[in-house]
Amino acid sequence: MDPTTRLKNTATAVANNRGPIFFTLLTIFLTLLFLYLFYASPAASVGPAQPIPFSHRVHAGAKAIACEFCHPYAGRSNFPGMPPVEKCLYCHNHIIANHPEIKKEHNYFDTNTPTPWVKVNYVPEHVFFKHIRHIKKDIQCAECHGAVETMDRLPRNNFLMGFCVDCHRQKKANLGCWLGCHN
Amino acid sequence: MKRRTFLKLAGIGSLSLATGCDSRPANTLYSLVKAPDDMVTGEPSWYATTCRECPAGCGVVAKVREGRVVKLEGNPLHPINKGKLCMRGQAALQGIYNPDRLTTPLLKTARGSEPVSHAKAAEMLKARTAAAAAKGENRVHLLTETVGEVLADLFTESLARWGSGPPLVFEPFAYESTKTAHKMVFGIDGLPSYRMERADVVVSLGADFLETWLSPVEYARKFKAMHAYGKGGKGLFFHISPCQSLTAANADLWLPPVPGGEGAVGCALLRMVLAEGRGDHLPADFREALIQTVAPFTPEKTARTAGVPPETLGKIGKAVLAASAPLVLGGSAAGGGDAVLQADLAAALLNCVLDPNRSLIDFDARHRVETAARRADILRFFADLKEGPAGVLLLNSVNPVYAMPGAGDVRDALAREDLFVVAFSNFMDETTQLADLVVPVQPPLESWDEYGGKTGLLSTLQPAMGAMVPAPHVGDLLLGTAFGAENRPAPDYASCLAKRLMADHPMATDRDRLETFRAGGRLEDRPEEKTGKTAEPPADLTPEPYLLNILAKASEAPEEAITFTALPSIRFFDGRGANRPWLCEVPDPLTKIAWQTPILLHPETMKKAGLRQEDVITATTRWGTLEAPVYESDGIRPGTAAMAIGQGHAGFGRYADGMGLNPFHLLSPLADTVAGGPNHGGEPVEIRKTGRGLPLAHTDGSRIQHGRTIALSISLTDLVHGEHPEKHGLAMHEFPLVLPLPEGYSPHRDIYPPHEHAGYRWAMTVDLDRCIGCGACAAACYAENNIGVVGPERILEGREMSWLMIQRYLDPDRPEKVAFLPMLCQHCDNAPCESVCPVYAPHHSKEGLNNQIYNRCIGTRFCSQNCPYKVRRFNWFDWEWPAPMNLQLNPEVTVRSKGVMEKCSFCVQRIKDAHGQAKNEGRAIRDGEVVPACVQTCPTGAFVFGNLMDPQSRVRRMVEDVRAYQILGYINTKPAVIYLKKVVQEI
Repeated sequence: MDPTTRLKNTATAVANNRGPIFFTLLTIFLTLLFLYLFYASPAASVGPAQPIPFSHRVHAGAKAIACEFCHPYAGRSNFPGMPPVEKCLYCHNHIIANHPEIKKEHNYFDTNTPTPWVKVNYVPEHVFFKHIRHIKKDIQCAECHGAVETMDRLPRNNFLMGFCVDCHRQKKANLGCWLGCHN
Repeated sequence: MKRRTFLKLAGIGSLSLATGCDSRPANTLYSLVKAPDDMVTGEPSWYATTCRECPAGCGVVAKVREGRVVKLEGNPLHPINKGKLCMRGQAALQGIYNPDRLTTPLLKTARGSEPVSHAKAAEMLKARTAAAAAKGENRVHLLTETVGEVLADLFTESLARWGSGPPLVFEPFAYESTKTAHKMVFGIDGLPSYRMERADVVVSLGADFLETWLSPVEYARKFKAMHAYGKGGKGLFFHISPCQSLTAANADLWLPPVPGGEGAVGCALLRMVLAEGRGDHLPADFREALIQTVAPFTPEKTARTAGVPPETLGKIGKAVLAASAPLVLGGSAAGGGDAVLQADLAAALLNCVLDPNRSLIDFDARHRVETAARRADILRFFADLKEGPAGVLLLNSVNPVYAMPGAGDVRDALAREDLFVVAFSNFMDETTQLADLVVPVQPPLESWDEYGGKTGLLSTLQPAMGAMVPAPHVGDLLLGTAFGAENRPAPDYASCLAKRLMADHPMATDRDRLETFRAGGRLEDRPEEKTGKTAEPPADLTPEPYLLNILAKASEAPEEAITFTALPSIRFFDGRGANRPWLCEVPDPLTKIAWQTPILLHPETMKKAGLRQEDVITATTRWGTLEAPVYESDGIRPGTAAMAIGQGHAGFGRYADGMGLNPFHLLSPLADTVAGGPNHGGEPVEIRKTGRGLPLAHTDGSRIQHGRTIALSISLTDLVHGEHPEKHGLAMHEFPLVLPLPEGYSPHRDIYPPHEHAGYRWAMTVDLDRCIGCGACAAACYAENNIGVVGPERILEGREMSWLMIQRYLDPDRPEKVAFLPMLCQHCDNAPCESVCPVYAPHHSKEGLNNQIYNRCIGTRFCSQNCPYKVRRFNWFDWEWPAPMNLQLNPEVTVRSKGVMEKCSFCVQRIKDAHGQAKNEGRAIRDGEVVPACVQTCPTGAFVFGNLMDPQSRVRRMVEDVRAYQILGYINTKPAVIYLKKVVQEI
C-alpha cells in the first residue's frame, strides 16, 4: 500500500470515527483537568478558603506575632487551641475595625457565634498527637507546620505516619505504639 | 442504555468525584467567642459535686473535656464515699446524655402530647396553682424524691404560699420498719449511720448494705474495713435472708430462713444473749419483760418456725457473744411487712443489749432518706387525692405508678379530669405519661444545689457543664410561680441557695461560699468521728406491750406454697436506673444475666414443678400475673421465688421498654399496719408452666471452675498456721508464681527469651478477699474506654464487649459459697495472643503492656481463640451511641470500628498522662500516680496498680504476699495481673 493510500485510509477512518475519537480525547482531557485541579492547581496548594480570609503571612510574618499568642495551649496541652473571637478583637477593635472582613468578625462576636474555621492540619482519629510533648522538647512549630509566616492561606497538611516515625527515629524518641501516639 | 444516557451518568459521576470526594471527615474547627477561664482545650477540668442517683449522696468529681462531662469519679475528700462510686454513680452520665431526655415541656391535649415553651409552661403552672389556691386550702400538693434541705424548705414555703401543707417525700425504699423500730427502742424515728468498720462481728437480718441499703458505697468500704484479711485475722459476717443477695454472697455464713423468718432468728439470738446475762445495763423491768417475750424462741422452736438448723443458730449466737464489738443490722431496703419490723426491732434491741454505749450506732449522722414518708401515708395521700377537692399535683422526679404495687389509686388520681398534674421530670415514664404537663428541669449535674446525705454534712452541687437542654431548675420554677416579684425570697434559686448557706454555715464572704462549692461542700470528718466519742446511752426503755407483741410474733410459714419476694437490685435501685444502657449491659452480680429479669427458683422447687432453666412460667399471686423465664439458683431457699426490682418498664425510653419484668405486679398494694411499709415479700405465688422458653442472656461460661486454678481461696487457719513452701514444679498446683519480669525467666520453663522493660513494668494485684463482686469497676471501664453496648441479642451470641467483667464461681460441693473474680486482660509476659497474630496487631510494649494496634488488626480472631483468659472482644458491628450519647465518649480513647479486636489497655491513656506529668516535672512516675478507672472506683480497694520493677511499690509488696497467685499460672503465660486468694473461714 502506498503512503498516499494509507494516509487516505487513515483520514477516512478518522472521518468515520470522529465521534469516538472526540469522546476519547475529551475523556483524557477531563481526566487531566480533574487531576490538575485536584492536586496541582494554585488553589489546592494555598489550602482551603476560610470564613474570614485570615493571613498567617500578615500576622506571623509582617507583624511577627508569636504563634503562642493565638495558640496559647500548645505548650501545656495536647491541642494548641484556637483563639477565641474576643482575642482577635483585642487588636481589631482598633486596627482596621471597619474593614468588611473584620466586620464579619464583629458579627460573630455580637451574635455569639463560634467561627467555623476549616481544619487544615489533620491526623486520623486513632492518633493522639500531643503538642505539649513536642514543644517541651523544643521542637519548633515550623518543623512540622512549615513556614506559615510566608503563607496567606495555609495548605492542607496530611501528616502521615512515616513523617512522624522518621523524626522519632532520628531523635530517638518514643516508638512504642500505645505509649507513643495510639491507644 | 443509550450512549447519551451513559455519557450523562459518567459526567455526573466524575464531577461528583471531583467535587465531593475527600478521604477526610468533615472537619470544622470552631473557635469560641469568649474563652472560659478554666477551659484549656485538650485538658480536663474537674468539678466537685454530689451524686443524686440515690439518696445516699456520695461526693463526685466530674471530669469535663471541652465543656462536656465525660467521666464521674468519687470525690476522695467526701466523708461518705471517700473517692469511690458504685455502678449507678458511674452511669449517672447516661442520664444527662440520654437520647430519650425531654427537650421541651409537653402539654397533654386532646390531640396527644404537644411541645410548649418553658415560658408557656411556667405561665400555665402559675395560673393553675393560683386558681387552685384561690379555691381553698390544701389544693396544691407536691410529691418529691428526697431532696436537700434548702430545696425542701423552698418547697414548703411555696406550698404555704398556695395555702397548702408541706411536700411529701416519696421513696420506694423508705425504711419504714427500721424507722419504727428505732422510734420504739431509741425514741428516734430515724436512720442512724453505723460504724461498721469498728465492729468485729456483723449480723444482718436482711439488710443488703452492699447493694441498695442506705448508703452502699459507704457500707461496702466500712464492711471491708472490718472483714478484709489483715493483722492475722478478719471479722465475721452473718447474713440471714431467704434469698442470697450480693451481700449474702459475701457473708461467711448465709442462713436462709423461710421468708419472714429473719425476725424469729433475731429473737432467738436475743434470747441467747440475754440468757448469757448480757444487757444488765438495761432497766431491770424492761430486761425482764424482754426475757419473757423472747423465751419461746428456743433454737428448736425457731428451727421449726423459721426453718433454720438449730446448730447454725447456736454458732451465730456463740460468735456474737464472743465478739468485742458486735453489730446487728435490721431488715432489707425493700421491706416486707410485719416480719421485717420484727427483724428490725430484734436488731435494734440486740444492739441495745450487746453495745451498752451504743458506740457503733451514730444518731448524730442520720441518713437523709429518713425524710421519706411512710408508704401508708403515700397511699392515704393518693386515696385522698382521688376523692378530695380538685387542685394541682406537682410531681418532682418520682415514679409512683411504676414503683408502687397495684398503683390503682395513683392512676385514678392522676387520671382525674379536674386535677392538674405537673411532672418535673427529664424523662417520660409510667407516671409522667399520665401527667397533664411535663416540665423538664435541670438535672443535678447541671445545677447549683445542696444535698447532704447525712445530717450535719454540707455537700454541694455545682453545674459541671452547660445545660444540654435549656430547662429551669425546679427551684427557679417555684420561685417564679409561687411568689410575686415583691415577696420572692431571692431572685433565683442559686441566690436563694447562696443566702441560705451563708446564713447556716460560717462563711464570711462570697469567696468562702465559692470555695465551698469548689470543694463540693464542707467535707471534714466530724470531730467525734475522729476522736471516736460515742453517743449517749439509750433513753429510758419501758416495756411497752405493743413493742413486745411485735417481737413475740412467730411466723408459721406454709411450706407447701411457694412464696414470692422482690429484691432491690444493685443495678437499677428502685427502677430509676433502667434507662441507662450500662446498667442493663453489666450483668447482675449473681445470675450474670444482662437486660432480662428472670424468676429465681431453687433446683428442688423446679424439680417438683417439672421445670428447667429458661422455661417460661406464669407466676400468679392474688395481685397479678407475670410471665417470666426461670433461672435455677442455689442461692435461694427451696419453696421461695424471687425477682429483681427495676426493669419491666412501659414508656421509659428505648433502653428500658420491653426489657425484663416488674415484680411489683405480683405484690400487695397494701402497707403493713404497724410500720406503714410496703410488702415486698412473703406473697404466696402459684407457678404454672407455659410450655414456652426464653434463652437467658447470661455472660458466664460456667458456674463452676472445673478444678482449674481460677478463683482460689485459702482458709484462715491454713493461712495463719499452715506452711507455705516455695513451689518449683511444672504441674498445675506445683507451678510457682512467675513474675512478668526478666527474673521470671527460667530455661527450665521458657522457650522465649525474657522481655526487657524500660523503667516500668505495669502490673496489677486483685485482692479477692476484698472483691465483693459489685461490678462498679466494670461500669467504670465502660465509661472510660468507650466500650460498645451490644444489647441482649448479641449477648446471647456471646458478643458482649466488656473489657473487665466480674466472674462468679460457685463451689461445686456447696453452691451457696460464691467467689467473685474481676477478669481483665492479664497483660501476660508470654502472651499467647501475640504469638498467633499474622499481622503483629497485639504488640508487647517496652513497659510490659500488651497493646492491641487497631489499625493493624485484620480481624482473624486467632488471638481471641488463643487467649486462655477469654478477655479479647471482637467488634462484630459498629456500635451505636445515639446522639447525644456520643458526647460522653472519652476523647482520649479511640472508638473502635467493625472488624477489629479490642481488650483492656490498663487505661494506657492514664499511664500516658502520668508520663506527661512526670516528664514536665523532670522525675519518674510516683507509685500510685497511675490509677486505671477500675482501680479508681472500687469501693473496697481490691485493686492495686503500679510498677513491678520498683521494689518499693505497693503492687510489688502485694505480690510477695503468700496468697498471691496467677490465674492458670501453670500454662506459663506470666500474667501481670496477680490475684490474692480469698480468705475463707469456717464457722
